[in-house]
Parts: sequence; structure tokens; C-alpha cells
Amino acid sequence: MKKLIKNFASAAALSAVALCTTISAVHAADWPNDNIRLVVPYSAGGTTDLISRKVADLMQNELGNIVVENRPGAGSTVATGQLARGGRGADHTILMASPGHAIGPAIYPGLRFNPVEDFKFVKKVITIPNVMVVPANSPYNSLEEFVEAAKNKEVTFSSPGTGSSVHMSGELFKNATTTQMVHVPFRGSGEALPALLAGDVDVSFDNMPTVLPHIQSGKLKALAVTTPKRSPFLPDVPTVSEAGEQYGLKGFNTSAWFGIVAHKSLPDEATTKLIDALSNVMEGKDFNEFLPRFGAVAGTESGDEFRTFISSEVGKWAEVAKKANIKR
Amino acid sequence: MDNFSEVLNLFLSIDNFIAIAAGVLVGVIVGAIPGLTATMAVALALPFTFSLEPVTAILLLVGIYKGGMYGGSITAILIRTPGSPAAACTLLDGYPLAQQGNAKKALKTALYSSCVADLISNIALIFFAGYLAKIALNFGPPEYFWLICFSLTIIVSVSGDSVIKGLIAASLGIIVSTIGLDAVYGSQRLTFDSYDLMDRVSFIPLLIGLFAIPEVFEFYTSKIVPHVRSAVSGASLSFSEFKRCLKSIIRGSLIGVVIGAIPGTGATAAAFISYSEAKRNSPRKDKFGKGEVEGVAASEAGNNGVAGATLIPLLSLGIPGDVITAIILGAFMIHGLTPGPVLFQENLTMVYALFCGILVSSAVLVVVGNTAIRYFSLIAEIPKSILLPIVLMFCVYGAYAVNNSTFDIGLMLLFGLLGFIFNRAGIASAPFLIGFILGPMFEDNLRRTFLISKGDPSIFFRGPITWLFVSLTIASLAFAIYRYWQSRRATYPSLKKTRCIISISFYRSSPYAPCVQGEGGSHSLLNLNFKGPKHEKRFHL
Repeated sequence: MKKLIKNFASAAALSAVALCTTISAVHAADWPNDNIRLVVPYSAGGTTDLISRKVADLMQNELGNIVVENRPGAGSTVATGQLARGGRGADHTILMASPGHAIGPAIYPGLRFNPVEDFKFVKKVITIPNVMVVPANSPYNSLEEFVEAAKNKEVTFSSPGTGSSVHMSGELFKNATTTQMVHVPFRGSGEALPALLAGDVDVSFDNMPTVLPHIQSGKLKALAVTTPKRSPFLPDVPTVSEAGEQYGLKGFNTSAWFGIVAHKSLPDEATTKLIDALSNVMEGKDFNEFLPRFGAVAGTESGDEFRTFISSEVGKWAEVAKKANIKR
Repeated sequence: MDNFSEVLNLFLSIDNFIAIAAGVLVGVIVGAIPGLTATMAVALALPFTFSLEPVTAILLLVGIYKGGMYGGSITAILIRTPGSPAAACTLLDGYPLAQQGNAKKALKTALYSSCVADLISNIALIFFAGYLAKIALNFGPPEYFWLICFSLTIIVSVSGDSVIKGLIAASLGIIVSTIGLDAVYGSQRLTFDSYDLMDRVSFIPLLIGLFAIPEVFEFYTSKIVPHVRSAVSGASLSFSEFKRCLKSIIRGSLIGVVIGAIPGTGATAAAFISYSEAKRNSPRKDKFGKGEVEGVAASEAGNNGVAGATLIPLLSLGIPGDVITAIILGAFMIHGLTPGPVLFQENLTMVYALFCGILVSSAVLVVVGNTAIRYFSLIAEIPKSILLPIVLMFCVYGAYAVNNSTFDIGLMLLFGLLGFIFNRAGIASAPFLIGFILGPMFEDNLRRTFLISKGDPSIFFRGPITWLFVSLTIASLAFAIYRYWQSRRATYPSLKKTRCIISISFYRSSPYAPCVQGEGGSHSLLNLNFKGPKHEKRFHL
């Protein structure tokens, strides 16, 4: 009798697995067979929200109705944690990930998700470089002059908040150059920018769209861009990597990036559909007209490449946070 | 002349007028609903502007902003539920007026003072944007620090009958404001490892909880509820009353303009400062908090004075002064425009067309506001047994909608309980709110100042702006102490011969701890020495 029950249980379990697989396969073939939910892990109206809504708008032609939903909290980790938990509707939910996806685990203790293992990585959509800027009346005219000065005296760098990509860029720079840089956090760019323009802080590694108008109007001096390649918006400005090679800055790469991730259970066929849809959108005129407005360039990594990028970011920021003693 | 006709061509389109009217109307309605703020409405309207012409898109958002700023006062007056944070000050006198059967008077006062302030703010934007933007750039952390110190002195004005109780409430507000992550080191403070508390206590649930929920608790716990008709049919605002308030309205508008031009301070602080100044200068100061029309006028002038002025740093410097202007900045960027000096060089026609629209929005606000009063004031006729459950429903929805978080509903109820206890203990809720808003600003700017000066406290006195606010802070404190002393002398005649000696001295004990040395080697900021014929009492603050 026991054997019968055991066999029956095994058969039932196998049938269930088979049934689930079949359902999953059917779902994958028909995907999407429901509205797609694009979760924005920040408040409505911000840069992430704007980019998400534009991308959702353009993707609707390829994938049907996409509903954008804002779920802000704890530097994007609340929304990311919710997606990682999965549950009902997870197979039709995607998330607009940003640097917070990789920085969060470095600074928030006890997160109940793994930023790499719990997700399927679709495609990086946009990269916005950060720019190393100093006020117009600053004595520093190049990265070299700045580093030499900062090795001998304390200098300050501002950011729109502790744990932001702007802050972490500064910490990474400080670690690599072993300079005496002190972080001055503000609450948002609206507060940080006036302090920089007025010369109350010495330097910032702010996002391109925030500082570009002030560089163009001569109120700020751009010393370097933080991406591996020079920005088409500031072609004469060197990269941190090329200008600071002698200070251990070779390979320096930080930026604000935005990319689509999904729950790890998303079938491969669905992931491929999403990648194809995004690729089509990113080749389109609308998207390419939209990019320059944010001083952005299109992302290139998708699938496993995107996963490798996130994985390296997670490792990089964990080390920076540890050295900077940022642990929440 | 060509430019002028270009501006008119760009502005005089039916789309622009529809956008302004629709924006103001949506703003007033959303602003009046508890929990639904103008910020939320502007953010939600943003995607709809993608396909509009740039001028039309911006005017729609600006319309919502201005409408929302006024709309918040409607429910603050009628049901003691500020529709927006900036309207929290309006209920101090607006709600008592409504309870006395003068809801119409309060609503009209709020509307006309809002419109006048809005107009003054717009004129400041159009004619003095350049000068005010320069002042804004001179506001660094030390200047902010003193501005916040000055703003904290308004706690005395909104403490009701007991300053001590007001200070207790403000201190509690400051303590609650420290919950979250430390701004400099990122360490957790009073979060109990809860992710919901790491981004600080959410403002909207706190606001709704503190002001609206106690009314609900009060209704269901009181055995006898007096049937108070808020009587929209009651007396309206007379011209002589408006004339009496005009001085406070203009003063409040100017305060709003200055606060609005400085990024990061906000309309709520402007409303409270304006209210406090009006109370200090009014011959009817004793009536403030008990249903004084001038109180409503001053607070509404303060918060609406900010509306146009926040566009000053945005348009002239590309710096958003608050969340709403940050969203409007996004709208500019979506349309390929970059606010800042370049905008004035490359798109001057568009800027002037925007100015025309912004001026028209002030007039539209009068029309929409009057219509809204007519319909919204019907709320006052609804019996409380029907009205309060509906209010509670909106409160729950509003608290949830901010972050799509059920945790925030719990927070709202918790602060509702606190507000209820405050009411029963005779403690005013406004100082709690001020402490909650200004506490983090005080701490952040103090720490930033020490960080940028590398610990040198002389930076606190680095220029005329810091000295101006140091003087205002001391004057405001001295005035408050003088008033307190006067009221004590009136209550206790034996104190008549008592003199009050105030001494302030600065002493630096360490680079990071500016202290003050009083008599006998005590370390305190302010020493009060009361000397009477038979007694002597010393206080060290």
C-alpha cells in the first residue's frame, strides 16, 4: 500500500512538473498574453520615470499594452526585491533597473534577493555618462592639476545623495587616486548644483544632462568624462581613464545606466522577444531623437553580456562601499 | 516688434488656453482631495504632454501646479484636512472660521490672497528673475542654516496657548524626522531594519494622519457631537476685511517669492513664516488661531507666492527648486529644451510666450477658484456621519498612493492617533509639522557647512546674508521672549518688577561644536536671567 501511495505521489509530482512545463511552453509561445507591467523603482516624474515611460510608449507597438507603475523606496531596492520574490504576474513584469540595482546590495544590509541570480537580464537601454566638473572660478583646469592638489590638501566633492551613482563615482575616484576628498551629500541635484556653481564644493561627478548646460554657458569646467569612450556631447573633454592613467585611473568607468530586467522564471523565448522588441525600438528614429535630450548614448549589452556587466558592477560597488565605510 | 508678434503668435493659440484652464481645474480638484497632491498630478500629467507643443505642455503643468497650490486650502478650511502640505498652515485659522459659520469668508480670503500672491510671484518671475537667481546662488549651506534657524522661531507663533507644549511637539517632530538613513554616513537611525523607514517617514501619510484622522477619531469617540454647519451661505469676505489683510498678503507674497527663488526650502515653510510675520505685526494677534481672516490670507499668500518664484531658478539657472519644478524640468528636456541661460538666448520667444501664459493662469485661477468654492463648499452641508467615512476613504487612498505602500496607511493611522492625543492634551500639531520639515534641513545644512569649511565655524558669518538671518533670528527670539514675558506679567502681577536680562555669547570649544559660554562657565546658547525684588531665576537654553 505504501509503495502504491509512493508511486502515485511520484506520478502526480511528475505530472505536475510536466503540466507546468507545458503551460510554461504555451505561455512562452504566446507571450505576452496579458498586459506587461513595467515597474519603475523611483517616483513618478524623475529621470528613470521619464525614460521608462518613453521606452514603454515605443515598445507598445511591438508587444501590446505596457502599464508603467512606480514603486519607489530605499534606493530602488523595494521594487527590485518585490520582483525577485516573483509570484502572481511575475511572468509579465519587467523592471527598469538603474545603478541602484548594483549599488543597493553594497549599502543596504540584509537584502533578501541576489541582484544577479534572481533576475533575467534583458537589455541595457541607455547609458548617461557622469562628468567630472569644477566651478568656473576653480584653480584646476585639468584632472592632473586637481589630483596633484587633492593629494596635498583636503578637497570636497558633492553628490545628490549618499549611495547615488554620483557619490559612488567620487568614492571610486578617491580610492584609486588616494586623494583627500571629503563627500558633501545634498538631497537631490536641485540642492547640490547651486553649491557647486557657487564654489562651495570643489568638484562633482554629476550626470551629463544636469551639468551640460552649465558647461556650455561657462559656469562649470569639465575636466573629464567617466565613461571609457569620450562623449559625443563633449568631444574635447578627455575620459578619466585617459587623463588619469598615471594615477591608477586606467579603466575607470562609471555612468548612470538604465536597462530592463525580469524575474528569473521568465521563459527564454519571452526574453528573446523582449530583446528583439527593444532592439527594434532602439534602432528607430523616435528613440534616437530622444537620446540627445538626456546627453545619453544607447546601451549595447543584452542577455548574458548585460548579466556580466551587472555582476562586475555589484563587485565594484561592494568594494567601494567597504572602503568608504558606507554600510547601512 | 517682430519679436512681439512672434510671441503673440506662439501664445495666442486655443490649445494654450485650454491647457491653462484644464491644468488649473485639475490642480484645484486634485489639490483639494486629501492625499492627492499637485506633485502627484503634475507627475501623472507629464506623459500626456509628450505629444503637445512645448509651450502648451509646460503651461498645462504650471496650471496644475498653481491650481493645486490653491486647491489644498479648500479641504483644509472645510474639513481640517490639508489637501497639500503647504495648506497645513491655512487650517490654523481657516477651520475655526468654518466652524464659526464663516466657511465662505475663509474660502474667498484664501482664493483672493492666493491670486494676488500668484500675480506678485509671476511679476517677480518676469521682471526680477535675473536678480533673484543671483541671490539664490549666494545661498550656500551656512546661509540655509541661518534661514532654517530663523524659520524655527515661528514655532512660537503657532504653538497656541502654550509655548512649552509647542516646543515639546516640535521636538517630537524633529525626533520623528531623524528616522531613516543618515545623510552623510548612510547609517540607519531608528529604522528597526525596516526598508519602509529607510527613506524617512513619508510626509503625506504624516500630514493626513496628524490633521485629518483626529477629526474622525474625535467624531466617533465624542458622545455628543455639536452639529456645526460650516454655512457656505454665511457672510462673504467684505472689501474692508480684504483691505485689512492686504498688508499681510503683500508681505506674505514677498516672503513666498524669496523662499521660492531659493531652491530646496518649499511652500510649507513660506506659509508658516508668512503666518508668523502676519501674527507678529497684526493688531489682532490674539485672534490668530481662533478664526482670524488675516491668518488665512497670510498663509495662502505665503504658499502661493512660491508658485511663480520656483520657476526663477528653473528658467534662469536650470535648477529645480522643488519636486514639481524637477518634473517640469523633465518636460522641458523631453521637448528638447534646456532651461537656463541658453534658453533665454535660443528660445526667448518661447520664454515670453510662457510668461504670457503664466500671467493668464492667475486670472484663470480666480474664475476656476470661484466655481470650485461654489461646488466644493457643498461638502460643508454634508452631515459628518456621512462625510467622515468618505474623508477616511480618501485619506487611506492618499496615504497608499504616495508610494503604493500599505505600510504608509499604518503610518497615517499612527500619526492620526498622535494627533488625537495632541488634541486631547491641548498640544498644537503645527509645531510638530514644522519640526518634522525643518529638522532635517537644520541638521543637513549644519553638517554640510562644517564639511565644506573643514570645521571652521567662522563660515557661519561669512557674508551679509548670514548676518541678516542671524539678526532676524535673534530679533524674532527676543520678540517671542518679550511677548511671553509680557503675558506672564499680565497673569502674575507679582512679576511686574522683575527684569529679564538676555545674554548671548559665543564660545568655540571644538571645531565641530560651537558652544556658548554663559555666566559661571555654563555652556549654553542663550542665557535668560530673571531678576525680581525677591527672587532670581536663571535659564540656560
